Amino acid sequence: MQGKNRISRRKILKGIGASLSLPFMESLVPSSLYASTLSNSNGPQRFACLFMPNGVNPNKWDPSQSGNELELSPILQPLESFKDRISVFSGLMNKHSISRHDGHYTKTANFLTSMPIERTVDANVNSGGISLDQLMAQSIGKQTIYPSLQYGLDRIRSGVDKAVGFTRLYGGTISWQNASQPCSREIDPRMAFDRLFRNYIPGKPPLKEDPYKKSVLDLVKEDAHQLRKQLGIEDRNKLGEYLEAVRSVEKRLDNQVNLADFEAQITPDIKKELKKMDIRIDEWVEYAEGVDITAKTRLMIDIMVLAFWSDASRIATFMFGNSVSNRNYSFLEGVHAGFHSVSHHRDDPRQLAQYEKINHWHIQQYAYMCERLDNIQEGNHTLLDNSMLLFGSGLRDGNRHSPYNLPIVLAGSAGGKLRTGCYHQYEDKTPLANLYLTMLQAMNIEQDRFADSDGNFRELLV
Amino acid sequence: MIRINRLVIGMIFLLTCPTLIMAITKEDIKFQKSTRVVLRKHCVSCHNEADKKAGINLDAFDFVSQIIRRGELFENVIEQSMSGAMPPAGKPRMNVAEMDSLVIGIRRILDEALAQPDPGESIMRRLSHREYTYTIQDLVGVTFDAIGFFPTEGSGGEGFDNQSRVLFITPLMMERYYTAADSIISMASQNINSWNQIFTEDYKPTFFRKLWSSLQKIISNKPIHWEQPRKVAKKILLPFATKAYRRFLSTDEQDQLLDFFEKIYFQNWKDRKAFNKAIQASLKSMLISPHFLYRFEVNLPSEQPYAINNFELATRLSYLLWSSTPDETLLNVAYRENLQDPEVLRREALRLMEDEKFKRFSKSFAPQWLGIEELLHSPKSDPIQFPEMDESLRFAMVQEVVELFQYAFEQRNLISLLDSDYTIINERLAKHYDLIGIKGDHFRPVEHRDNTRGGILGTAAVLTSTSLPLRTSPVLRGQWVLDEILGEPAAPPPPDVPALEVAKSKVHNELDLRALLEQHREAPECSGCHQKMDPLGLSLENFDAIGRWRSHYTDPLMDNPEITISFAPVKIDASGKIDDVKINGPQEMRMYLLSEKDKFAKTFSKKLLSYALGRGVEFLDSPSINQLTETLLVTNFDSQELMIQLILSYPFRHRRSDSALKYLTS
Repeated sequence: MQGKNRISRRKILKGIGASLSLPFMESLVPSSLYASTLSNSNGPQRFACLFMPNGVNPNKWDPSQSGNELELSPILQPLESFKDRISVFSGLMNKHSISRHDGHYTKTANFLTSMPIERTVDANVNSGGISLDQLMAQSIGKQTIYPSLQYGLDRIRSGVDKAVGFTRLYGGTISWQNASQPCSREIDPRMAFDRLFRNYIPGKPPLKEDPYKKSVLDLVKEDAHQLRKQLGIEDRNKLGEYLEAVRSVEKRLDNQVNLADFEAQITPDIKKELKKMDIRIDEWVEYAEGVDITAKTRLMIDIMVLAFWSDASRIATFMFGNSVSNRNYSFLEGVHAGFHSVSHHRDDPRQLAQYEKINHWHIQQYAYMCERLDNIQEGNHTLLDNSMLLFGSGLRDGNRHSPYNLPIVLAGSAGGKLRTGCYHQYEDKTPLANLYLTMLQAMNIEQDRFADSDGNFRELLV
Repeated sequence: MIRINRLVIGMIFLLTCPTLIMAITKEDIKFQKSTRVVLRKHCVSCHNEADKKAGINLDAFDFVSQIIRRGELFENVIEQSMSGAMPPAGKPRMNVAEMDSLVIGIRRILDEALAQPDPGESIMRRLSHREYTYTIQDLVGVTFDAIGFFPTEGSGGEGFDNQSRVLFITPLMMERYYTAADSIISMASQNINSWNQIFTEDYKPTFFRKLWSSLQKIISNKPIHWEQPRKVAKKILLPFATKAYRRFLSTDEQDQLLDFFEKIYFQNWKDRKAFNKAIQASLKSMLISPHFLYRFEVNLPSEQPYAINNFELATRLSYLLWSSTPDETLLNVAYRENLQDPEVLRREALRLMEDEKFKRFSKSFAPQWLGIEELLHSPKSDPIQFPEMDESLRFAMVQEVVELFQYAFEQRNLISLLDSDYTIINERLAKHYDLIGIKGDHFRPVEHRDNTRGGILGTAAVLTSTSLPLRTSPVLRGQWVLDEILGEPAAPPPPDVPALEVAKSKVHNELDLRALLEQHREAPECSGCHQKMDPLGLSLENFDAIGRWRSHYTDPLMDNPEITISFAPVKIDASGKIDDVKINGPQEMRMYLLSEKDKFAKTFSKKLLSYALGRGVEFLDSPSINQLTETLLVTNFDSQELMIQLILSYPFRHRRSDSALKYLTS
């Protein structure tokens, strides 16, 4: 019924031409018609995942619930002003993370795929399946110029981990286009920012697009098709990646509607922000690159926020670090070691205290993103309301490499689709994929299951 | 009844699935009738999919090819069965016939497999970021920092960035490839020297040609076309294409490229710069073509492995030794002579090794092998504790290893990597090592006056890379020696390591650590690895977390600055025992490593083979690895001979067809 009457925003745009500025179309939507699809009139839904390596200090993580009130734990304290806008979960796990192969890799690469990871140094890289963000990108990502964004702070660690027999690639990747293909991720704020916004920064002359790009792409596609004939199956798979990548660039080139849509979204407010960001990045490069990791994190977060705000993309993942990251956090008061070292605290209270402080820093950054998103109004909602902002780690207690009872927080309500402000305590070993399935449903992506899910969280859905 | 059903299903399956007809051989049937029966009877009750005792599932093996793929596992099965360790006490023993069927059956399968030379899998390799940079440099004459510009990547195999299976192309990569090609060609066109190398001829239409075409346009409105630009373009584009694609282009390919050129040219023919524009667009297209980005090899529909063609071999050779595209001479040799001829191949390999560009091999291989690459990107150490670790020091650290490696190669003496009485440093590093009288940025050999340093284990790069941000870690250093030098990687710690009581001594963290490590070695689940790892690492304790020499721990409680107590320096104890051999300090540790040089030879051979083939080493590579190891031992670690043997080796010169191909082409 509803589906029949609804006109997609895209269709309208096509119909009336692309020049019209339509920031979320409040005025065009008669509210009665859209009463039950509130999220559409108040801006689209977004998803971001902020992944933290190395787990949490288990004694300082769990919040509690008193009546309707969520009581935050020391680590979660930075979320105080958002506590009615978040959900915290306990008892969740990726069951495929328990395997003979202990350590971090089987709990990182599958954080968003919830599937078993193939143990390999290279022969058969396999994450078991597509990751949650990429599944979302396949469906709602089509409506934006960039179906999804993958960001991080560090280079992927090189080498293979001999002790456990895994390529470290697994420790640097949570987004998987499919089981055997990881997505590339950006770690440089300048490049990430310029990719999305280079041509819209006030005062900077736009770059000239190569007029022959389309012809060149046609030509190399032809090359690839001819090459294909000479190849075996394995090589064809590799070439398949190439063709897929060319197509995605072409798609962006072809999709003038999306582009116009995006350009229309760049309001004077956003332009102002772009200009500010541009200067901030320059300053960071000048003074803080390689020194101030908090500044870098915030730049990357702000770029994601801008991407959501301008509707350049609706899906993003961000890795605070590769798994086993031993980033040195001595810039925090009272911390004198690397993250991974401290996570193997051996129950030493001094180490645990440092572990907690490092976790706390991560939640601060997460809270920063909540705040930034919440400052942006979309209709009756804020951008935070329209988002599902997932924070989590593939481990609980790093000292035990424990994959049970993962630390998971979800902020935002997917445009009013999800209940918030609760501590959901699930039975031990409840599939994390149940949460993912629920999130997919909140996005109207019809799935009976996701990975090892055995149901959804009905109590979470409005 | 059940048996019949299975058979019927099996038959149907066989009839409908052509690839499997190929897969099931007489050998498979023999295996299934004999050896597999014994495996199922005696092994599978524990080593099955669900239980996977010791992480091993022996229930998943139905075909001989699967056994061969996991050859090392089955070597172990033989060993365990023969020694009587398996089946374990309390389980039914195998009778003699069963034992024979298992041991002889598997042995025969493995031996027969090893007797057939097999080049292993060779999947087409995308250029690694490093190779891209060098290739662009040699092909276009432009310096382009691909590692900085392209998204960061992982590594595979023995830990290298050139392993085909982990070289992906993603949408983001493609975008960057395009932008890269764009800026490379535009950089080249702005540099007279490099541009003159490529843009060897120019073309400008005559005044009359333009006038005539304009008139034609007005009169007939037919597409404007004339021959001349294509002819000139051909002279520019084809030589470039040959180098870029590392082979000759087929006529079809040539036409396609020149058609593209013409298309762009005649879109712009009135433009004064039309020719230049069209040439640039064509060059750009080559730089993002799969022929350029991938090193592919023709897949022949052959059951047997076959020798790769001369151009493919030239490409393998130059990417191994130069991390880059073959030069004109090599392409010429590939065209005019038979590069597969061992004499020709040896000659060319030696020529490439004498070239300046061979230094790239050291620069690429050594830091990746030794795991010190990350020093180029970020300081591992704590900036407050070690403020001296700036970029120039970190770069110098890595450079020292590269120089040592290069020197060892030139001296044809790889064992000097384990022990030497010199190192190669510049002023910055000399200061770090407390050596005086060394001035300037260039690297030069410097004799070690005492026996503290020598070989790669005395380099700050290795010592820093195996330390934690604030302190040394004997465990990490020991593990590193086991991994990279002795090739005996330690198993990971068991999943639930029992919490260790922190030792009572709070005087110094490093002392704490020694006590802690002793506890480790007492715990049975830890002792196996730590017994070896710890003494190796402890022998290097005289080097601090950034590789400086120290005789004492002078810094009280580095991990806990809140606790301030007066602290008298504690003399460092660098002693330990490995397999009843006492070692004390770095010199004795080096002696110990020299006594294990056959293990080093094998580890190095494995690494090199993996680097050369772009894939992880497998069971069927063991003949090649043994041969390379042997070469090293017989020639006293002659690097040159090793390299030649590698290049002449079977897997380097052959490839195996993707077996199912013949069912899919047409």
